[in-house]
Amino acid sequence: MRAPRSLTLEITARCNLRCRYCYFFSNPAVEYRDLPTDEWLQFFDELGSLGVMKVTLAGGEPFIREDLSVLLAGIVRNRMRFSFLSNGVLIDDEIAAFIAGTGRCEYIQVSVDGSCAEVHDACRGQGSFEGAIRGIRTLQRHRIGVGVRVTINRKNVHDLENIAHFLLDEMGLSDFGTNSAGYMGTCCINADDVMLNIEERKEAMATLLRLTVKYAGRISSEAGPLTDVRMWRRMEEARAEGKPAFHNGGRLTGCGCTGNKIAVRTDGAIVPCNMLAHVELGRINHDSLAEIWLNSTVLNQLRNRHTIPLAGFEFCAGCSYIPYCTGNCPGLAYTITGQIDHPSPDACLRRFLEEGGTIA
Amino acid sequence: MNQTDRPIANPIVVLREEFDDWAVLFNPDTADAVGTNPVGVAVWKRMDGKRSLDDIVSEIKKSFEDTPDSALKEIAAFVNTLAENGFAGLELERKIADA
Ligand code: SF4
Ligand code: SF4
Repeated sequence: MRAPRSLTLEITARCNLRCRYCYFFSNPAVEYRDLPTDEWLQFFDELGSLGVMKVTLAGGEPFIREDLSVLLAGIVRNRMRFSFLSNGVLIDDEIAAFIAGTGRCEYIQVSVDGSCAEVHDACRGQGSFEGAIRGIRTLQRHRIGVGVRVTINRKNVHDLENIAHFLLDEMGLSDFGTNSAGYMGTCCINADDVMLNIEERKEAMATLLRLTVKYAGRISSEAGPLTDVRMWRRMEEARAEGKPAFHNGGRLTGCGCTGNKIAVRTDGAIVPCNMLAHVELGRINHDSLAEIWLNSTVLNQLRNRHTIPLAGFEFCAGCSYIPYCTGNCPGLAYTITGQIDHPSPDACLRRFLEEGGTIA
Repeated sequence: MNQTDRPIANPIVVLREEFDDWAVLFNPDTADAVGTNPVGVAVWKRMDGKRSLDDIVSEIKKSFEDTPDSALKEIAAFVNTLAENGFAGLELERKIADA
């Protein structure tokens, strides 16, 4: 691939909220400033010339940018599609109508972390629940695709049944996604308050598995308790039955993202992923994206991470899950261990079981 | 206004060139994408509303060694598929007259 298919762009360092587990803020590697409109427009022209298909606009809160419609027009002009990661609060009829009019929006992901204000606002701040729901209703009125993401944390882990009922039965959403507060950014500061402990992880897994039966095909995850339990059950079954190694097992294969996407920080630094925000590959409008994509030594090292065997890590010594384990996300591996080329302890099945976890 | 036999690429469609001259055609309005081989890429680049299908085929035959005689059929089928999926159309008479 000569250029990435898609990019995640943090178009602002500003946010109307201060969520207690936000991965974005409190990262010492990041310079929290907004680029001027022209810088983004110039970069969109470069993306257009490379045939990039899609950008995901994130932040901070992307809807806080006063020039958002100008930026979107630049994306549309360069024949790309777009989506958003948002807290939903600032979405109003005017911007929703503009977005609908472009015909290019894939979806807008809005975070909803509770079935009521009390639960949602516990981590995201007063008034944020009402604002998020109002934002979703606005998007629905304008027939814009909405993807709701529930970040599971200590304050809402007991509310998951209600959340599913609220989102799927009451709000009529077709589905929603889940993850959990991960050890990154502001979450590191509030970890004891917000991150699930072993008992709570067990509870989240059991509840989510039950809910995925009740609401078949309507609850998804790319990370977090549901992903972990599904993966870990497969690993345990394979180990118990002595099955051959998984095709991606036994090496650091947990992240395949560097094969087709890349990210840009709010200050214009090009990075492999928002979860690896300290790994600067270059600067937009100063360095050629195509050149970085094809020739960056750091990026190519990340792409070759899949050749590193788990058996070589002291962390994994003697583990019977090695043939089935992928080492998971390098972003979390880095924030927890200080090393990118390391399995992520957060997704380590052996450690989870040793600490009293169960996956039965 | 009559249609000509001159295929024309939908200008909104993006040609994403990948390695070894393979490519993806991507329509950002519909999110539809199709992969294509180097011959398809060469055809796409010639779909300018000025060349007829026959013109395109003879140019392709010149640029690609070993182009089989069935190429006309295959290229016509490829252009048809593109047209059916909104990636291309046929130039209209009037535009040519205007040109
Ligand atoms: S120790 Fe953990 S990370 Fe290493 S192979 Fe075993 S389960 Fe995977
Ligand atoms: S580093 Fe982690 S979060 Fe980032 S793209 Fe890879 S798997 Fe996903």
